[in-house]
Amino acid sequence: MQRRCFGRLIMAGIVLAASALTIVPAMAQANKTITGGFDVGPGGFPGNFHPLQATAGFTWLSTYYEPLVIYNQDLSEIVGALSSDVSVSEDSLRYTFKLVDAKWHDGEDFTSADVKFSLEFAKNPASGSLFAARLADIASVETPDEKTAIVTLAKPNPAFLAILTQIMMLPEHLLGAKDPAELANSDWWSTEPVGTGPFKFVRYVSDQYVELAAFDDYRNGRPKVDRLINRYFANAAAAVAALKAGEIQFTYVEPDDAKTFEGNNDFRVIEGDSYVINYIGFNHKVDLWKDLRVRQAVMHAIDRKQIIESLYGGAAKLASCGYVAPQIVPEGLNDYAYDPEKAKALLAEAGWDQIGGGQTIPWLTYYNSPQVGNVMAAIQAMLAQVGINVSPRAVDVPTYNGIVQSSDFDQFPLVYAGAQNGPNPASLNVNLNPAQIPPAGNNIMRIDMPELTEAIEKAMAETDTAKANALWQKVCSVMNEQLPWGSMWVASRYGVTSAKLKDFFWTPAPAGGPYQAYPEKWDIAP
Amino acid sequence: MWQYIIRRVAVGLLMLLALTVLIFLLLRLTPGDPIDAYINPQVPMSASDLEALRVRLGLDQPLPVQYLAWLRAALEGDFGYSIQRGGTPVLPLVLDRIGPTILLMFSGLAIAIVVGIGTGILSAVRRNTTTDVSLSVLSFIGVSSPAFLTALLGLYGFSVMLDWAPSGGMLTPGEPFSIGDLLSHLILPACLLSIAHSAMIMRYMRASLLEVLSQDYVRTARAKGVREFWVIVKHAVRNALLPVITLIGSTIGIAIGGAIFIESVFNWPGMGLLMVNAVTRRDYPVIMCATLLTGACVILVNLLTDIIYAAVDPRIKVS
Repeated sequence: MQRRCFGRLIMAGIVLAASALTIVPAMAQANKTITGGFDVGPGGFPGNFHPLQATAGFTWLSTYYEPLVIYNQDLSEIVGALSSDVSVSEDSLRYTFKLVDAKWHDGEDFTSADVKFSLEFAKNPASGSLFAARLADIASVETPDEKTAIVTLAKPNPAFLAILTQIMMLPEHLLGAKDPAELANSDWWSTEPVGTGPFKFVRYVSDQYVELAAFDDYRNGRPKVDRLINRYFANAAAAVAALKAGEIQFTYVEPDDAKTFEGNNDFRVIEGDSYVINYIGFNHKVDLWKDLRVRQAVMHAIDRKQIIESLYGGAAKLASCGYVAPQIVPEGLNDYAYDPEKAKALLAEAGWDQIGGGQTIPWLTYYNSPQVGNVMAAIQAMLAQVGINVSPRAVDVPTYNGIVQSSDFDQFPLVYAGAQNGPNPASLNVNLNPAQIPPAGNNIMRIDMPELTEAIEKAMAETDTAKANALWQKVCSVMNEQLPWGSMWVASRYGVTSAKLKDFFWTPAPAGGPYQAYPEKWDIAP
Repeated sequence: MWQYIIRRVAVGLLMLLALTVLIFLLLRLTPGDPIDAYINPQVPMSASDLEALRVRLGLDQPLPVQYLAWLRAALEGDFGYSIQRGGTPVLPLVLDRIGPTILLMFSGLAIAIVVGIGTGILSAVRRNTTTDVSLSVLSFIGVSSPAFLTALLGLYGFSVMLDWAPSGGMLTPGEPFSIGDLLSHLILPACLLSIAHSAMIMRYMRASLLEVLSQDYVRTARAKGVREFWVIVKHAVRNALLPVITLIGSTIGIAIGGAIFIESVFNWPGMGLLMVNAVTRRDYPVIMCATLLTGACVILVNLLTDIIYAAVDPRIKVS
């Protein structure tokens, strides 16, 4: 009898454990929901809710906020979002925005007063805005009527509209009376934000997810799905596990993970341009790299085509300068073909054939993915063949930034890094202009090449597109010839969606965009 | 007695103060600061905007000024705002995480106790049989498996391959709270957390029970004609449990360490995940508050233990 009781106890335990295991979350959803890892990967910024403190994460932010203007889907052109028409004066100083008929999520009308408030708020450093310096050229914002806003600049700024694509419009009627400094640290952004986008904010569960609901009065029609959920993950691998388990319908994935979805009809792989140039950075404060022939030797020592073929599976474009967009890359550039003998000869000519003197050269990076680890190992082996012994060192982003912003040049004579090179190539300026050498800016390799600087500044000042393209071609030629850094490639980035998603658009835009994603059209099959 | 308590409280407070100084300095010694963590190296940022951010966060001040400002605010109960979470107040953020960590840790420990003691008894009772050898091999594997590895393998096997449990989080996003939903998210990380502890408890239980089973009083019980089941349950197991209970108490610290890995892999919203995210993003206010709270708990427990000892042992008062 007692033995039987003991057995029953054990069985009860097993049944309890088994039932706990098989309790599947009540997924009987009465409404359509799309759940995704919208802030996974380099374009995401999980946990940030203040749109003016965002350095990334615009894909998600633009589902409930909207800017005045936005990039189109292939990031080739800036088009209207909350403005139906933009006209620019001949002197490129006055921008007139005609506004669309839109409503805030609380039912109030979107007006030019909101535009004036948003731009002045974004220009005010006290608000915590990270766009203040970039909007410093704004001299005034006039509002002749409720549907017109006129922005006057103190001097022409060809990048002005590109900057505006990331400035989300904010409700003047809710925030106008508040102290900008208080709003910098307010929980309004993560508890009750109000935008004009197709979805409205419902709640944020700390470090878990953000939930949005369809905005019934959205000007382009009510979204097709009722809820949009942005689930947070500790890393891309965890998001891939959730995608494969059917818990989410979309996430960014690492290139190696993307391959595992190929040929699987339950998923759709999206490939796009990363708009990030990967380069081997030569610290120009280190004597080793001052001779152009040494930098050329590094380029000739690396078989970039082979690396792209074997380690990127062909999903990267060979770069001859800081970018690869055909309209700004001229013909006849040096392709620095793989030629180890030439590399050795160049080193000997430069008197650096005993490069490193038996010591390895530290090679710093913030990339920690297995793929980049393999790429760096391959380059390490290739460089060793010509006598350049490097020692890769991968650290986290804060450590990397802390090191490269310091003056301890021995810690980073060489780096492997990426720099945003589009959609507007002017974004490379902060990496190449001597005026941006730390602590003033992000020219971490301390590049100071007068010809290159002059070429970049001319290209940045040109407002005519055709002329600007010609000037950017000149920049590309100078970069190719003088090698401020060793341009490697522009690799593709990937997202994967469930095959159930319909009319869903995503592209791996730098900083997550924003771009015309039309979230109101996204749908999901039952 | 009161003098002793006051002295111990004063020492505890001094230790906490020393802890805050130590953590503050260690954080500043690590390369990179919150601004460095804020910058995406691939995204162009204006240096003056970053400098404005640095000034707003007070990071431009000398270290002693920064520390004293933090201490003054902390004494008033203001632990500041999370730098990387858009101005979320730190104290509620940290307090919210204690519950999920305790839930995960004690669930894992409970499973480990049940499984460890059960298999320990089975192994001892069937000494030198195939069952014993198999369980011993499994326990060695369990003890030597690092938490991050078992977590990743468990996630892949039970969640991705078998689809028996959700792949992460504590609740299904967007769904109303239910115990079933919570349990379904809890069971896998708790089981994985329990593996190493189960194995350790099993080894101790087996060794302890084998020793007890050879005692005279066990032989006497058998000689009296008591059935073997009751000999083991009533006479042997009770006595064999004593060293195991000591072990369980002393491994709670290890459970906290394991929970950090498990929380990271399963995105469980506990103290571990919060701390790991805060450290990688150099979120100084969160790290300071979480460390202070953890340190205060440890010091408080030690203090209470000392006070209880002092209350029951007159020799402590003298010393």
